[in-house]
Amino acid sequence: MIEPLARRLQILSLSLLALQLLGSDWASPLCWGSLTLVVMASLKLAKAQRPADLRRGLLAQLIALGVLAGLNPNLGPGLVQAATGLVLVAALLAQESGGGGNLRQMLNRSVQLLVVCLPLLVLLFLFIPRLGPPWPQAELGRGRTGLSEQLDPGAIAQLALDPSPALRISPAQEQDLPPADQRYWRVRVLDRFDGQRWRAAPAQGPAQAWAPPAPAPPGAAQQLWLVEPSPLSALPWGGSGVPLNPQITSTAKGELLGPWQTRVRRSYGLAASNQPPAWQRQAPARSDLDFAAGSNPQLEALAEGWRQQLAPAQRLAAAQALFQGQPFRYTLQPPPLGDVAPLDQFLFASRAGFCEHFASAFTGLMRAAAVPARVVVGYQGGSWVPANLWGRGYLEVLQQDAHAWSEVWLADQGWVRIDPTAWVAPARIQAGLRSGLAGQWADLGLLSQGLPWLRPLTRSWTNLDLAWNQLLRYDQFSQDALMQRWLGPFRSWQGLVLVLGLALALALAVWILGLLRPTPRQEQQRRRLDRSLSRLAPLNLVPQPGESLPAFCRRAAAQLPELGPGLERLQTSYERLRFAPRGQERARALELARSLGAADRELAAAASRLGRRPVERLQSPEPP
Amino acid sequence: MREPFPDRLIRRHGGASHRLGLRTLYILPSGFGWLWLLSCGVLFILGVQGSSHGALLLAYLGLGLFLLAPYLTQFNLQGLELRCGSPAPGFAGDVLPYPVQATSRDQRLALGARFRRCEGDLGWSGSLEPGQQWLAVPWRPSRRGLQSPGRLRLQSSAPLGLFVCWTLWDPPAPQLVYPARRPGPVLELDRPQTRERHQAEAGADAQAGGSDHWHELTPHRPEEGLARLAWKQLARSGERYAKRFADPQPRPHLLAPDPALPRERALEHLSARIWQLAASGESYGLVLGNQTIAAGSGSAQLERCLAALALAAP
Repeated sequence: MIEPLARRLQILSLSLLALQLLGSDWASPLCWGSLTLVVMASLKLAKAQRPADLRRGLLAQLIALGVLAGLNPNLGPGLVQAATGLVLVAALLAQESGGGGNLRQMLNRSVQLLVVCLPLLVLLFLFIPRLGPPWPQAELGRGRTGLSEQLDPGAIAQLALDPSPALRISPAQEQDLPPADQRYWRVRVLDRFDGQRWRAAPAQGPAQAWAPPAPAPPGAAQQLWLVEPSPLSALPWGGSGVPLNPQITSTAKGELLGPWQTRVRRSYGLAASNQPPAWQRQAPARSDLDFAAGSNPQLEALAEGWRQQLAPAQRLAAAQALFQGQPFRYTLQPPPLGDVAPLDQFLFASRAGFCEHFASAFTGLMRAAAVPARVVVGYQGGSWVPANLWGRGYLEVLQQDAHAWSEVWLADQGWVRIDPTAWVAPARIQAGLRSGLAGQWADLGLLSQGLPWLRPLTRSWTNLDLAWNQLLRYDQFSQDALMQRWLGPFRSWQGLVLVLGLALALALAVWILGLLRPTPRQEQQRRRLDRSLSRLAPLNLVPQPGESLPAFCRRAAAQLPELGPGLERLQTSYERLRFAPRGQERARALELARSLGAADRELAAAASRLGRRPVERLQSPEPP
Repeated sequence: MREPFPDRLIRRHGGASHRLGLRTLYILPSGFGWLWLLSCGVLFILGVQGSSHGALLLAYLGLGLFLLAPYLTQFNLQGLELRCGSPAPGFAGDVLPYPVQATSRDQRLALGARFRRCEGDLGWSGSLEPGQQWLAVPWRPSRRGLQSPGRLRLQSSAPLGLFVCWTLWDPPAPQLVYPARRPGPVLELDRPQTRERHQAEAGADAQAGGSDHWHELTPHRPEEGLARLAWKQLARSGERYAKRFADPQPRPHLLAPDPALPRERALEHLSARIWQLAASGESYGLVLGNQTIAAGSGSAQLERCLAALALAAP
């Protein structure tokens, strides 16, 4: 028979699943799979005739919940997923317990079960060996926001309008971060130029991946990076440090590549390193000098002059003088450059643009002047959110902090970061986009600020979210490190420790559940009665099998009349307590329990008085 | 009938009372439990493949509940004490309640009890409150005599349904089973056989008589109508008399099995006839071989006769 409460609880869990589906990424096939499961479970529930139908629907919901947990790993959806799991367990309890309870009792019981399961959950999570994905991961969709694979005119200006978070960096403390004007978070290196656009050279397979990073030195300062979904597979980083996850590799150009799909939120750790990054000393390729000859004749003529007269470092200084000496202006609304000689148009006519215009023009100038150069896109800046009750502090980098800069090769220094935007709008680099646009009201109007009163709330939430992701960043390598630290030479005993730990956790859970087992009111009353009657046992007054309470009281009172009043009161109180009409138990229980207590005390006093008399008096009289 | 696996491997527990404990309880995952475990496996693969900690945590939570479930299910039965009641007699072929007294200090959720030999979905199900409670476990005996319903299986899968925990007990008190009630010819020792048989077969009432069998004549009153008018007397004497009828005092039936029929069949006919006579309040007696039960009526007579039929030598 299907319990109505179980059906109602399943409707509730289906509603919670539908809510999560609404907030999921519909570009992912898994989302559609989850939707199918939810629809099937709904139909099964609507047509359910037997408990087995309900059980199968519940399993379908459980799997749909697992899929949604993979699609939405953040803290907010995680809480909804936990609530859904709770309701599903309550639905199971309601069905399997034969309808013996109301909604509150079932939810209570479900919470109890989940709480006592937590130690088991933690043990399994920590000790079950972590496996890599058994099948290659398909690219299942595109990220919602992010940088582009090529430097399109206006692409970064578009991103600058997006106030949503791009990444968070959580160091041990703010001092571990570089100063504000040195906070460059590189993502992609664009080293091909066709006269108009910059793009990245196509990847040449895994051989392109550079030497695996050296193992993180123990005790090195660590940073947790949390990156929102982005269409780029490259991960942001500061350009130095050692990834804690050996599956993360660095390319020769200094791009960090992880093993994840791009559509998911990625989380990884970097340990500080004293060694200079190897990509910085990687000699330039011939293609780093490629310039679409004839595409921007004025720029080429200027660069040719520098090439013939100046040493490479001086060519750099000449470029800086050009940008600082001419009336260049930083704006998010530059005039269109057109398709013909766009860099000439920017450098010698409009002189208005934002980071990508400056980086693009500067890099073009350097290449034309025979200095190997390339464009780097990533993020610059970020604002520090201090630690609070909910979690550790972090640097929040928004999509509007997206930035482009250049790198040039100087034989004695390797690849050197040059940011021409800093020459034109130093405030943009030191204090962020808003400061860089100070006084330009038309540009500032484009920036979205969000609701100011909501900001502290969202930042606290982000602290909490970061702590949650810190917890979930437990992968194969973290497990290895943890097991090595905990078990040391007994590393091979991991399985035994898991089994023993599970046995202990199970014993603990069973013991706690035994303590939490609800005692029905009638049973409590019966125990009180038994306790009261046990006071008479030393007087040889023990209820006989089949003897009713009134009969026993009469017999005892006849035998020892002093007990009469106490026994009568006890009997009356107990019977009134047991036979209280339904719905009035609570109201009358207190009063009657008090009365039962008084009767018990009276009986105890009488029994005590009698107990002090000679034993002969207490012997039962011979039956006539 | 051979018991299904794994019950046939379990040794028998008899005795007037049966306490459920570690030695008498058995537990295995239910079908739903296996499906649950499979779902946890699917969630684990989803978690590993998608590097999703959420799915992994869900899989581990499911596994944790699965590990906890056998204890919870066993605790739902452990400590329960079953005691044999005194089963009331009944007829073969009917559904009879077999009384079992359950004593428990705790609440027991969603129990089910049935006799293993019983076909179909005959069984008792429900929850038990603390204290003593009688369970009437139904079964359907096929033969007469002192019958034992066989092995009782009491099981529960509460509170999660992932495991099924059960006990097997052979309640020792037999139940007296009367022959099935099957209408048919019986031998009436003090009545003409042909007529008796004919009447029995026709299923007609044995009440004889018609309008001629009046008891006395009294002067006819107009309000008595013409139906009671004694026409013969009117024709003979010209005086109007009304017929007064009286129920003839029925003679007690002394019943015996029809020797022309197989023994068991004859006993079943007798069972039906006795039940019918008792229902109509008539007096009857029984002769079974050298055992004779004098004519009488009432519930004691009915029980005496039916018990004699139940225990009659084959």
